[in-house]
Amino acid sequence: MIMQELQLSEIQGFLIRDYRDMPFAKYFLLQFTDAVKGKKFLKNISEKITTAVNNNESSYMNIGFTSAGLAALGLLQNNMRAFIREFREGMVTSYRQRLLGDHDSSEPAKWNWGGPQNDTIHITVMIFGKDREKIDAHAEECIAEFNQYALKSVFVLDNTTFPEGREHFGFRESISQPIIIGSGVTGHKNDHIRAGEFILGYKNEYGVYPDTPLLHENQGNSSMLDRDPDGSDKKDIGKNGTYFVLRQLKEDVDGFWNFLNEKSKDDNGSINAEASTKLAAKMMGRWPGGAPLVKYPDKDPGILSDDNDFVYTDTDKLGLKCPFGSHARRTNPRDNFEETGPAESLQLTKKHRIMRRVRSYGETYTSSPTQHTPIDEVGILFGCFNADISRQFEFIQYTWANYPKFKQLYADPDPFIGVKENPEAGTEQQFTIPQKTANKYITGLKSFVTVKGGAYFFFPSITVVEYLSTI
Amino acid sequence: MINQNPLTLLTPVKADCFEKLNQILERFKVGLNANLNERFNKLGTLHYARWFILNNDSFRDKPAFPLRERLVFSSNFDGSVEEHVTGLVTVFPEYFDELYDCCEGYPAASERNTETRKNYLVRWKINTTAFYTGAPGRSLKQIQQEDALKNYIWNFVNKNKWHGQSAVQIQKAIQQEVDKNSEFEWSKKQVPVRKVNWPGMIIMSLILLILLPVLIIWILILHFFYERKDKNCYDKRSQLNDDLVRRLEADEDLFNQNQFTQVLVMKPGNARLITVNALMLFARTLIKNFFVQGKLMGIPTIHFARWVLFDNNKHMMFFSNFDGSWNQYLCDFIDKSGWGLTGIFSNTMNFPKTKFLFTGGAYDEEHFLAWSRGTQILTQVWYSAYHHLSIKNIVNNTLIRNELRKNLSEEEAQLFLKRF
Repeated sequence: MIMQELQLSEIQGFLIRDYRDMPFAKYFLLQFTDAVKGKKFLKNISEKITTAVNNNESSYMNIGFTSAGLAALGLLQNNMRAFIREFREGMVTSYRQRLLGDHDSSEPAKWNWGGPQNDTIHITVMIFGKDREKIDAHAEECIAEFNQYALKSVFVLDNTTFPEGREHFGFRESISQPIIIGSGVTGHKNDHIRAGEFILGYKNEYGVYPDTPLLHENQGNSSMLDRDPDGSDKKDIGKNGTYFVLRQLKEDVDGFWNFLNEKSKDDNGSINAEASTKLAAKMMGRWPGGAPLVKYPDKDPGILSDDNDFVYTDTDKLGLKCPFGSHARRTNPRDNFEETGPAESLQLTKKHRIMRRVRSYGETYTSSPTQHTPIDEVGILFGCFNADISRQFEFIQYTWANYPKFKQLYADPDPFIGVKENPEAGTEQQFTIPQKTANKYITGLKSFVTVKGGAYFFFPSITVVEYLSTI
Repeated sequence: MINQNPLTLLTPVKADCFEKLNQILERFKVGLNANLNERFNKLGTLHYARWFILNNDSFRDKPAFPLRERLVFSSNFDGSVEEHVTGLVTVFPEYFDELYDCCEGYPAASERNTETRKNYLVRWKINTTAFYTGAPGRSLKQIQQEDALKNYIWNFVNKNKWHGQSAVQIQKAIQQEVDKNSEFEWSKKQVPVRKVNWPGMIIMSLILLILLPVLIIWILILHFFYERKDKNCYDKRSQLNDDLVRRLEADEDLFNQNQFTQVLVMKPGNARLITVNALMLFARTLIKNFFVQGKLMGIPTIHFARWVLFDNNKHMMFFSNFDGSWNQYLCDFIDKSGWGLTGIFSNTMNFPKTKFLFTGGAYDEEHFLAWSRGTQILTQVWYSAYHHLSIKNIVNNTLIRNELRKNLSEEEAQLFLKRF
C-alpha cells in the first residue's frame, strides 16, 4: 500500500486536532445577505483559517458551508449537484429524520437552529480560544467583520471543553478516536485508518477515492483547483475537504440519574449510588472516568483514563463484562462481529468510524447518582467529520445505535442515543446485561437526549475557500 | 420439516390498464399498513410478498427487446404452489380480481371461482433460478410459535430473581413453567436444524479441483475476450437520479426489515449465459449444503433471496428480504461476499469493471453502491409476516426451543440463558 502524503497545510485544523488546548469556543451560524460581500469575506478569512499545521496561534478558526450557503454564494446548480446527496439535502428530510430518530421532542420543527422554522444557515465560523477574555475579544473582531461583509447572525453556539473531559451525564468523552494515517497524530494501531475515510481526494478503507464534488461547469478561477483524483479532466472542489455533522444534544441528567437510581435501588427501596454508577457504566461500556469495562468489569477504579488499548473477542466474547448493547461497544464494535474473525471485524469497523469533535454547552456541570440537578440547560455539541455521511455518521446512528436488533439482540436500542421517546404500542425498549447465569434486563428505557438543532457542513480546503471567493 | 418455496408470476398487463393498475397498487400499499395485512396474515403460510409493474423503464439499461408492461408478483410461502395460490385467491378474491382484471385473459366476472382464478395465476408462473432461505425448514407457524415461546420465557426470567441458582436449575425452572402452559405443548417436540453437509461439500470441492484447469482457461477467455470489452458502470451514488432514490428511501427503514428488487439486462452471448448458469448451479449447491444456518456467504441478515432469469434468459431479477438498513446490507455484500456477487452480476450489463470474473466489481465500493441503487426499482406493494423479527432472532428462537428440554451441562445451560 502506497501511502499518499497528506497536504496538511490545506486541511482545516479541527479535523486533525481536537483543540482541547482551547477550552473556549463559539460557533457562529450565519447567513450571507449579499453574495458579493460574502465572497470578499471569504477572500479575507481564507488566510486566517487554522490549518492542520499551524498550531502555535493564540486562537483557532475554522469554517464550513451548508449547501444553501454554497448556493447563496452563487455556485452553479450543476456544480452544486456534484456534492453528495446527504449534504445537498441537509439533515432535515423526512427520510433522514427517520434514520436519525429525530421525532417527538427532537422534531426538527422544534429546533433552535437548523430546522424548518429557523432562519437558513449558510456558513459556520468557529473560533476557539484559551480563555474567556480572549474568545470574547476575538468574537468582537469577528462580529465587526460579519457586519462589514453583510453576514447576518442566525445563532451562536457558545461552548467549552468538558471539565476532566467528562460530559454532563458524567462520562469521559471522545476517548476512542480514529487516527488518520499520515496526519502525524499517534495512537493505537487498531485505530489507524486511511485518510479517504475523512478527507476527500485520498483513498479510503475500500481502496477507492471517496465521492468528491467535481466542477461540471467551469466557474470562477478554477485553475486554482486540482483535478479529479479518479482521472477525469474535471476540477475537484472536494480535495482536502471533508464533511462535518453538527448536532446540539440536550442532556436530561436529572431524568437519567433518577431512572438509573430507580432501576438499581436496593431491595429495601433505598438508592444505591454504587449500583447506579455501575448500571450507567454497563450502558456506556466505560466507567465515568473512562476506564473500559473489559478491563475493570466489577468496580469503578476511580481513575481518569484514556485507555483505548482493548478488544472484545479474547476478553469478553459473551458480553459479561461489557454488554453488547452498550453505547461504546455498539458504536465501535472493534474486533467483535460474530460472523467474522477478529482481524476481519477490525477491518469492518474501520469502514464506519467518525472523527468526533464533541464539546459542552450550558452550565458547567458533571452529574452523578447523588448530584444531578443543574440549574440551567446542559448538553453537548456533537460534531463529527467524515467523508461519506451515509456510510459513516448515518450508518452508526441508525444501524448501530437506533436499530434494536444490533448483533443478536431483540429489542435493545443504544441506551444513550437510540431510545425512542414514543415507541409503537407494545414495543419494548430494553437493555440486556449478560450475566453468568440468567441475563438481567433493564426494561422501559427512556430517552434522555433531545436534539435541539443540527446541520451538515462542507469544510473545504484552504485553497477551495479562496476559490469560492472567485465564483 | 416444511419447505419454504418461492413463486414468481409475470402477467401481461392490458394495453390501457397501466395507470389504473398503478393506482390500485398505490392503494394496496397504503392499505398494507392498515387492514390488508390482516388478510395476508390469515393465510398462515405466507412469509413475504411483493407486487410491482415491470416495463421498459424499469431497466436502467436498454432491454434486450422492447417489453410490454407486466405485473410481477413474488412470494415466499410454506407448502406447494397449488395450495399457496388457492389460499391467496380464497382469502383475497376481490383484490386479485381487481388487480388481475387489468391483466390479459383474466376470467370474466361470471366465470370467476377459486379454480379459475388459481388456474389463471399459475399459468404465468416463471421458474426461479436460485433461491436462498435464511431459516430453512421453518414454517410461518413455527416461526410465530417459537417467537411466542421466547417471549414467554423472557417474561418469566425477567419477572423472577435467580440469586444463587445455577444455570441448569434456571433452565429446569423455565422448562417447568413452560410445561404448565398447554399452549406450548408443541415445543416438546424437538425440530431438526439443518447442518452443513460436509461430505457433499468435499465432493463439490473435489469436482471443482478436477475442473480447475478448465475453469482457469474459461476465466482467462472471459477476461481477454469479454471483460476487457465491457462497458462499465462508473456512476456515483450522488449522481444518480435524486427522485428515484428518494422514492426508494420513502419506503425504507419503516420497520426493522427492508426489501430489495433489482432488474437487470444480461450481457449478450453464450459465454455470459454459460457463466451465469454455472455460477447459479454453484450457488444452488452451496445454498443447499452450506448456507443452511442463517447466513448467505457470511451475510447474517437475509430472510429470503432469489435470482430469476427470464425472458429467454435475456433479463434477470433479484429479490431479497433483509434486516436493517440498505447501507448495511450493501456494505455486507462488499465486505463478505464481494467475489460471489461479482461473479454472478458481472454477467449483466454495465456492472462496475471486473477482472478475472471475481475481482474488481463489487470491491469498487462507490461504483458498486451506485450500480446497486441505480438498478434497484420500486417495490410497489410489500408484505412481511414478521417484520419485528430478524433472521438471527428466528434462528436463535429455534435453538431456544430445542435446548429448553435438553439435558445441558452447566456451561451449556449458561449459553442457553444468553439466547434471550
